[in-house]
Amino acid sequence: MSTQKPLFNSLRKAFDQNGSLKRLAPLYEVLESIIVTRPRFTATAPVVRDSLDVKRYMMLVIVALLPHYGFGVYNVGCQALLASGHSPNFLRAVFIGLQAVVPIVLVVFAVGFTWEVVFAVIRRHPISEGVLVTCTLLPLTLPPTIPLWQAALGISFGIVIGKEIFGGTGRNFLNPALTGRTFLYFAYPAQISGDAVWTLLIGGKTAAVDAFSGATPLAIAGSMEKMRDVHVVLSDAGYTLTKLFFGLYPGSIGGTATFLCVIGAGFLILLGIANYRIIIGCILGLMTTAGILNMIAGPDSMPYLSLNPLYHLVMGGSMFAFAYMATDPVSSCHMQGARWVFGFFIGGLTVLIRVFNPAFPEGVGLAVLFMNIFAPLLDEIEIKMRLKRRVSNV
Amino acid sequence: MKFIRIQKGFDLHAAGRPSLELQRLEAPETVAFIPKHIRFIKPRLAIKEKDSVKVGSLLFSDKHRPDLKFRSPGAGIVETVHFGPRRILEAIVIRLDSEEEDEIFSSISEAALDTMDTKDLVARIQEGGLWALIRELPFKNIPFYHGKPPGIIVTMGTKEPFEPEPSVYLRGREDLFQFGIRALKRLTANVVVVLPSGNDAPDFLHKMATHTVSGKYPCGDAGVFLYWTKTDLDQKRNWYIHGQDVLLLARLLRDGRYPIERTVVLAGPDVKHPCHIETRMGAPLSHLAQFGTINGDHRFVVGGLFTGYPEPGNGYLSFHETAVAVLPNDKKAERFALFKPGYHKPTYSRAFISRLNPSPMTVDGRYHGEERACIGCGYCANVCPVDILPQFAFKTIIIGEMEEALKHGILDCVECGLCSHVCPSKIDLAQILKTARADLYKEMVHR
Repeated sequence: MSTQKPLFNSLRKAFDQNGSLKRLAPLYEVLESIIVTRPRFTATAPVVRDSLDVKRYMMLVIVALLPHYGFGVYNVGCQALLASGHSPNFLRAVFIGLQAVVPIVLVVFAVGFTWEVVFAVIRRHPISEGVLVTCTLLPLTLPPTIPLWQAALGISFGIVIGKEIFGGTGRNFLNPALTGRTFLYFAYPAQISGDAVWTLLIGGKTAAVDAFSGATPLAIAGSMEKMRDVHVVLSDAGYTLTKLFFGLYPGSIGGTATFLCVIGAGFLILLGIANYRIIIGCILGLMTTAGILNMIAGPDSMPYLSLNPLYHLVMGGSMFAFAYMATDPVSSCHMQGARWVFGFFIGGLTVLIRVFNPAFPEGVGLAVLFMNIFAPLLDEIEIKMRLKRRVSNV
Repeated sequence: MKFIRIQKGFDLHAAGRPSLELQRLEAPETVAFIPKHIRFIKPRLAIKEKDSVKVGSLLFSDKHRPDLKFRSPGAGIVETVHFGPRRILEAIVIRLDSEEEDEIFSSISEAALDTMDTKDLVARIQEGGLWALIRELPFKNIPFYHGKPPGIIVTMGTKEPFEPEPSVYLRGREDLFQFGIRALKRLTANVVVVLPSGNDAPDFLHKMATHTVSGKYPCGDAGVFLYWTKTDLDQKRNWYIHGQDVLLLARLLRDGRYPIERTVVLAGPDVKHPCHIETRMGAPLSHLAQFGTINGDHRFVVGGLFTGYPEPGNGYLSFHETAVAVLPNDKKAERFALFKPGYHKPTYSRAFISRLNPSPMTVDGRYHGEERACIGCGYCANVCPVDILPQFAFKTIIIGEMEEALKHGILDCVECGLCSHVCPSKIDLAQILKTARADLYKEMVHR
């Protein structure tokens, strides 16, 4: 601690108003502020301010996401071993998982952070901690086999187009992580859809062993032939409700673990970071829509229609997106009532896209982005209604 | 007595709450009048440096409203007249004589009060230099007298953590208070006394109070009270006055002398024995502080934690304020604060473990973060006592959409400061709303 002080003091000199590196001051500030919080005193009423700042707000989201990384590393390794015909050994699985996940994370953080610094320096705004959340979220939604240059491209699109061209965190209207993810999905469908991409292969193998099916539950449910029961088909492929809940199956790096999403959502709701209205709204919307589809499903219709709503909830990344993407405070609705509607429509759209659009096995990302666009409108409607109730004072 | 419950607001659990004990202080060497903290006035000086003044001598009046007068809180020699940037009159400092002389005003007997002409009464308050104690909603300006106001709200406290308790400042002054209320009733028939629940007010006050409000800070505020009880538009221009100021008014009218006594709270984490202090108007802060602060560097906040302004240690108590908070001025940087659970961090949010800590916590005058763009967390709307949506209202103000801002109800804003207090992006919401309201007021007056 005594060594930090002279270090920071001499460093600050280089970055201050007359220093040689003054243009890079935002970069220095963010590094310093992680370690020490320099006191800044209020000059106007109210003199006393709350202890919470945006940095801690965002940091808590990252804390909630860390277990997903732990799970993701293990799951990637575990699936790779299975697909290559080995029996899953915990340490080996973690080792293989780390080999796959760490490069993606490093590339995403390096590229994302670089963009943020570039914009902060040119636009002269502070580096916002929102970029860290974006960079933490994006790898969890990617397949482990993604080429690193695509991961770099995805985070670039998410940060630049999804956020920075509008002025940075707080001024974006789309979730930046999802924007990047969706860009990759449409730009490089070969590397981000299909059965093969979700499992890493090791030992120079080019195809999974015969006993291993790399198909994700969403792909199975979406492409099965008629006249069969969807639940039977899923459980034949090994996808029982319990397995789907715990998420040990091929999928994105950390998005399949529904049980971790539930824990994370509970954690964020408890701390007042995520809004429970959105998450519960999402779940209600998904259950209701899937329930209605169950009712209209006849013997001749698509078997997907009759899928139990609970399966929709635990399959794929729906719960992950509900807990961490839909609750992004900036791009979601800001009014309490509108948040219910916002969530409900995300849930509903997720099911509709999954069931009725064979091109998109997973619909939740598109549903969130779609509702992000409608969030200001929903807010506006609620504000109009609320202001009408005010006793006018003009 | 009517009972009103106000749902929204926020109670800060701050350490250093004042006890109900009342300490008397010796007279200070100097007192001062601080015009810059009285809003919407343009002073025209009536004295110059080295003049000798009595208690109640005219110091200055308003340029645009000559009947709005401000009088001296002490007798002695005018030591300095401080001007700030653009010649704003900042302070008039008076070095006190050992024997102080009073200016004599005409007094009103109890019997005469009830038959007195209202205009005459108003003229006496204005002549006596206390008209500025009464403020007008919604702008909190000093009212113009054009006949009866729609009502007068007497506020007995807002549940601000550090503020004088009526049970202390009314001790032994029951007659005076009743006289003051009777005088206010001569101005309008509709005088309401709003008492926040949970303060152990004397029995006579419970009898006099027309409304009890319960809730969190700022539940007893005149603007909040009006927002929740308003039935028609005429009431929007209600006047209000603080309970302690009623005593000053009564002293002027009944005894015919300019009142200078003030009951002030000295509180905060850096005060050894936070309590009430009987002192006088315009007392120097250092004089109050010598009475018992912990050694070290302090920040003084005059006028409550949420509405007061920071003042250096050589400052003075201003005309309206009755609370002085002493906060730590710790300039040390905090290490790894981001990663600490924060058991001792006071917060509205739930992001610190201090929510499980029942003991009062040390508050200070730091921002606790850097300014960011609004992230739409909605904390400000959750605490706003008059249902404004500050996160949207401030944007309408910044882009200059005043019509839209008015629709958002910025005229109902009571300037309680809670929105700024809870904002994690550290946006000065309250200041933005306050400035917009002040601009609107100036536009209306100069039309």
